[in-house]
Amino acid sequence: MIAQIWQYVLAGVVVGAIYALIAAGFVLIYQVTGIINFAQGEFAMIGAMTASALATGGMPVLEAAGIAVVAAALTGALCYLLAIRPARAATGVTLIFITLGLDVALRGLALFVWGTNPLSLPAFSGGSAIVLFGGALPPQALWVLLTDLLVFGALYAFFRHTYAGTAVRAAVANPPIASTFGIPLRTFAFWSFVAAAAIGGLGGVVVAPITSATYDMGLTLGLAGFVAAVLGGLESLPGALLGGFVLGIVEKLAGGLLSTGWEQGVGFLILVLVLVLRPQGLLGRAVRRA
Amino acid sequence: MTTVAARPPTTTLEVSGVTMRFGGVVAVDDVTFTARTGEVLGVMGPNGAGKTTLFNVISGVQKPTSGSVSLGGTRLTGRAVEDVAALGVTRTFQTPVMFWGLTVRQSIEVALAARQFGGTYPPAPWRELAPCGLGTPGRRAEEALLRARADAILSRAGIGTMADRATESLAFGEERLLEMARALAVEPTVLLLDEPLSGLNPDEIHAVLDSIRAARDGGVAVLLVEHAVGELLAVADRVVVLDHGRTIAEGTPQAVAADPVVIDAYIGDALE
Repeated sequence: MIAQIWQYVLAGVVVGAIYALIAAGFVLIYQVTGIINFAQGEFAMIGAMTASALATGGMPVLEAAGIAVVAAALTGALCYLLAIRPARAATGVTLIFITLGLDVALRGLALFVWGTNPLSLPAFSGGSAIVLFGGALPPQALWVLLTDLLVFGALYAFFRHTYAGTAVRAAVANPPIASTFGIPLRTFAFWSFVAAAAIGGLGGVVVAPITSATYDMGLTLGLAGFVAAVLGGLESLPGALLGGFVLGIVEKLAGGLLSTGWEQGVGFLILVLVLVLRPQGLLGRAVRRA
Repeated sequence: MTTVAARPPTTTLEVSGVTMRFGGVVAVDDVTFTARTGEVLGVMGPNGAGKTTLFNVISGVQKPTSGSVSLGGTRLTGRAVEDVAALGVTRTFQTPVMFWGLTVRQSIEVALAARQFGGTYPPAPWRELAPCGLGTPGRRAEEALLRARADAILSRAGIGTMADRATESLAFGEERLLEMARALAVEPTVLLLDEPLSGLNPDEIHAVLDSIRAARDGGVAVLLVEHAVGELLAVADRVVVLDHGRTIAEGTPQAVAADPVVIDAYIGDALE
């Protein structure tokens, strides 16, 4: 029984690492713009589908992965420039609905381009399963965890050790005041969409060899990423990481020990509990802005 | 960091016929004045006279219904807040607002970097991500210089010992002093101060007034909104008086203080 639970935990860590990447995108955009971007999961879908389609066409996997991340980043840039920026004077609720529209549009576009058939992407490296204290992980899991390490490490370095990162933190603390110092909020908003899309695309690329890629995978990933972001605290990147892992592990445990139906549903139970008991999330602040 | 924002060569702030309406309410009504380099222009008036709205218009937060604001011949009206700031207009607020999450020193460093990079701020991530991660000597020297400048500014403001404190931990008066220091860190051409003395103890008032005089002597055009009339008249070189959005007097502090219209509208009450 313990071995079984350990296996569920390991599987949850891998899934949670993907959720953490999607959640990081939610947090980045929310921090800078105050918008909850419900199209975030579609960036992962764009990454996964682009990489899988290119690899299926014969391109080397890592090359396809690189192009897929760029494609996701461009998608994020276009989403901001064509849909968000023109409506920047709109209320928060309106902007959220725009992101819901983007979600549907991107999924429809993917259906149009790639169809309904799942696409597969070869694992980045071969070899047999990795055995850890009796539990097994697919080799691709290492790539997933390595991606988390690199992405969150880069984000930490950016926010703690760059002028731009400090400026973003100032802008997050108080956007109107930051702008009176010449800090360009619109530029930050643009780059937050690009970065969130690239990170989401990267998440889609590394998970595709495990789950395969479908045009509608973004919906599930996006909702899980949203729950992870809320669980960790919508304005906290460490919270996104923690929320992703907690959600992934709880999902796999619930799915394995209770029933597979719980694997999908438990996330929303967590969402409701967090919103009722600790709306700021595990690592978020109780009060957002001065 | 070598880029410094290009600013207009002359620094006269011209407010020309500015009117600001909110529906049927006229908050600022055809106000015209100039503020020159190296002077403190006091802006007086009772609550609701339109002083803060005027600051919002000058700093680009609000676009006037009519009229314009220019700095050294460069039109500010219609520009985004960050563009107006890059041209040298900086302000403080009635209630000091901190960058929560940053320390006192980081708050100053943000302002210093904003001034240093000017129109190219913030630098593109690829320009700084790699060097910062590797901790190159050039980068470390740059950071040390920024830190030293920030510490010097904090010392001058009288809050040098608080450099490593979180901004959330500051008392109200300390927040005021930090806000003032942060505004001066960007080396403004025009500094808009909105009630900088309110809520301060006598020592803190003394420190802020010293900062205002130092800024003026350094060539800054300081616009000062303040309800502490005695202090305002003592530090101002000229005074504009607003009432119900309109200019009712303009002149030296002595002339304004003796103006029966001003006494009737404002000073009589304010000095009681």
